[in-house]
Amino acid sequence: MDCTKCGNPNVIIKKEQSGQYLCKDCFIESIEKKVIKTVRKEKLLDKGDKVLVALSGGKDSVTTLEILNSFRELNIIDICAVTVDEGIDNYRQDGVDIAIRHAERLGIEHRVVSLKDTYGITLDEIMQKPNHRGSCSYCGVFRRTIINKAAREMGATKIATGHNLDDEVQAIMMNYLEGNTDNLTKLGAKTESEAEEFTVKIKPLREIPEHEIGLYVVAKELEVHFAGCPYAQQSFRGEVSDVINKLNEAHPTIKYSTLRGYDKIKNALKDDFKKDYSHGRCVKCGEPAANKLCKACSFIEELKGD
Amino acid sequence: MVFTLKYNNVSESREIPQEYYTIKDLIMDLGLSTQTVVSKQNDELVIEDTVINDGDEIKLIQIIYGG
Ligand code: SF4
Ligand SMILES: [Zn+2]
Ligand SMILES: [Zn+2]
Repeated sequence: MDCTKCGNPNVIIKKEQSGQYLCKDCFIESIEKKVIKTVRKEKLLDKGDKVLVALSGGKDSVTTLEILNSFRELNIIDICAVTVDEGIDNYRQDGVDIAIRHAERLGIEHRVVSLKDTYGITLDEIMQKPNHRGSCSYCGVFRRTIINKAAREMGATKIATGHNLDDEVQAIMMNYLEGNTDNLTKLGAKTESEAEEFTVKIKPLREIPEHEIGLYVVAKELEVHFAGCPYAQQSFRGEVSDVINKLNEAHPTIKYSTLRGYDKIKNALKDDFKKDYSHGRCVKCGEPAANKLCKACSFIEELKGD
Repeated sequence: MVFTLKYNNVSESREIPQEYYTIKDLIMDLGLSTQTVVSKQNDELVIEDTVINDGDEIKLIQIIYGG
């Protein structure tokens, strides 16, 4: 089997959904072109944007940075990055170091912000508490708050995250199966929040399957942190992911069709189910909040409790 | 007929159990999923349908972890 595009006999991928075989160079080019196409189609970037990349050092965020950097090289946008250090021993530091090296290589403004410095506690310490709610709940909330805050402080106009096709399809199916119509309205390539305190979030890799992102970083020899978090749990997301991947074996277009279907009904969902945004502020930290305290501060209060 | 398998910092010599034994067969025999790894044969990325030859070094790189 030779490369469908250029005839090179050394192919590295068989695209099940199209039957195409691609060599290394044609594969790399196809990924970059596809991301650029998503950026154009969904109007993810405006000239003059300063894009903050949420850079964990993992394959998805490194790929996001790498491809968005081509827009920076064309002087269309500026890029900065933030890495959140949750404080997970024997795991997080490698990713942080890799993130620092990428930022230095590209010469971009970069901050590493730790949970410890921001909230006075590490994830490891939280996990020692008897009343904790499970690692990932804290990670998600604290990370989001830290990234939003960094975006404002660094003057970013957009926040780019590494969400890939698998992440997005899992989120669509999970929220659907759980009947969570509120969360279902919030997915998509670009989340626009009415609150101006929240920077617009974009997902440039939304149409790239996770496996292809892994292949891309290996093919391009990009340094990334491949490792599993010690706190990774059995989760509903994991179960949904297994089912989708199982279905995908015999139906290789299913992830794309789920995404396309969602995109078609998204506006109707928004019209019918979107909740009014509350313009409150957290009394403790000043971040936008639905209640008296924002989610992050209420977690901290609860952990202090005993 | 043997090949070397490299996976997650372990390196071991393995027999080729049958004719036309592919990397995909190997991944299945190891109880892994083709979703979570990419494969190299003698340091070059290859597709999983590639047949393993005597003396090959096959490297499986885990790219997807839970969580
Ligand atoms: S798997 Fe680990 S790093 Fe990921 S959200 Fe959960 S605790 Fe945080
Ligand atoms: Zn080619
Ligand atoms: Zn707060």
